[in-house]
Amino acid sequence: MFDINASDAAPIWQQIENGMRRMIALGALNPGDAVPSVRDLARTLRVNPNTVARAYQRLTDRGVFSVRRGDGTYVADQPVQPKKAERNEKLRDAAMQYAGVAISLGASEQDAIAELENSFGRMVKESRRKS
Amino acid sequence: MTDANVVSIDSMTVRYGRNVAVDDVSLDVPRGTVYALLGRNGAGKSSLVRCLVGQQKPAHGRAILFGEDVWTRRAQLMERVGIVPEEADAPPEMTVHELSKFCGEIYSRWDHNAVRDRLSRFAIKPDARFGTLSKGQKKQVMLAMALAVSPELLVLDDPTLGLDVVARKSLFDEVISDLADRGTTTVITTHDLAGVEALADRVAILKDGRLVLDEPMEALKSRFRRIRFPYAAVALAAGNLRTASVTQWGGGTEAIVSNYDDVVFERFRSAANVTHADVSPMSLEEIFIAVAGEEVRS
Repeated sequence: MFDINASDAAPIWQQIENGMRRMIALGALNPGDAVPSVRDLARTLRVNPNTVARAYQRLTDRGVFSVRRGDGTYVADQPVQPKKAERNEKLRDAAMQYAGVAISLGASEQDAIAELENSFGRMVKESRRKS
Repeated sequence: MTDANVVSIDSMTVRYGRNVAVDDVSLDVPRGTVYALLGRNGAGKSSLVRCLVGQQKPAHGRAILFGEDVWTRRAQLMERVGIVPEEADAPPEMTVHELSKFCGEIYSRWDHNAVRDRLSRFAIKPDARFGTLSKGQKKQVMLAMALAVSPELLVLDDPTLGLDVVARKSLFDEVISDLADRGTTTVITTHDLAGVEALADRVAILKDGRLVLDEPMEALKSRFRRIRFPYAAVALAAGNLRTASVTQWGGGTEAIVSNYDDVVFERFRSAANVTHADVSPMSLEEIFIAVAGEEVRS
């Protein structure tokens, strides 16, 4: 599972949405897998159940989750990946932020890129270990 | 005062002699909301909560629950409210089971099974005498009792005060489960800002008896930012940035901004000719200190 950082700039529902998308993208959750109930995830993350429900609703609306009536929520058979243009825009925003941090710390471009590659590798490895 | 609001406080003032504890406060708690009422010691939280549950009559104004005046309809309205008081209090020689039976005779709807289930989740034996329980267990018993009436409003007055992390977690777990299962409107006063940060939908801050802030948690957190500049002087008045505080240190300046958004900030940057700035989000605790924490300035 993922952690919630209550003092992050991103709202908690968005962190949950991103966390779920990340788990699917990394293969920790697969199409057809049941996702935790709103109640259980709210208790695990210690957040308001309404916030979890809001994230789940968005994921369902966007075709990432599917709801079987009376039987909980599942990862959709073919979870919809964000459109390429939308994805690139998000990547660019996050990259701008990261570049800003690197520059303000006085890091070189090479150092910054090396750290990014490291993090990418770590993320992938971690998800393999968990799944 | 529509049905959408479970609680309405209508220009309430509470006085103790010449001392004004609550100063003309009005607020609404919409149905289904988790409402965090924050403030430093002596800010007026307890007085407001006592009036809210009909234990005290305000000098002016009133508290309205479910559309009815609390003071005049106290007995009927309290049937629909679960309260976890700041000081968990019950006859020490009574067992937990006897306590539940006793309360069940007072309240018209009392779910003995729900009490039993919750107590077993809390690992509290029904034959334990109330006086022998730890502080955390007493609070757990109070919560089990408060939820036994399937309340439409749950009032938690500093529920985690003096509890260790484990007891705190088990209490929050039970509140979260109840929220998920029943969507109970909840009013919580607390100093545990980290605990309530991900739980509350709406935040109100009392300072010296006055309501200085009352808004959705998400809105509050999106408008507050800490901004650090590597300059001794920054024309913060340029653009329309509102600052809650400005401090200088070394050759730098730190500002806490209360109306941050990207557009306002970009406008400020070009107006003030600022190229370097480190913008960071703030936790509820940091926002609380910025809003309610400043010491008296003479």
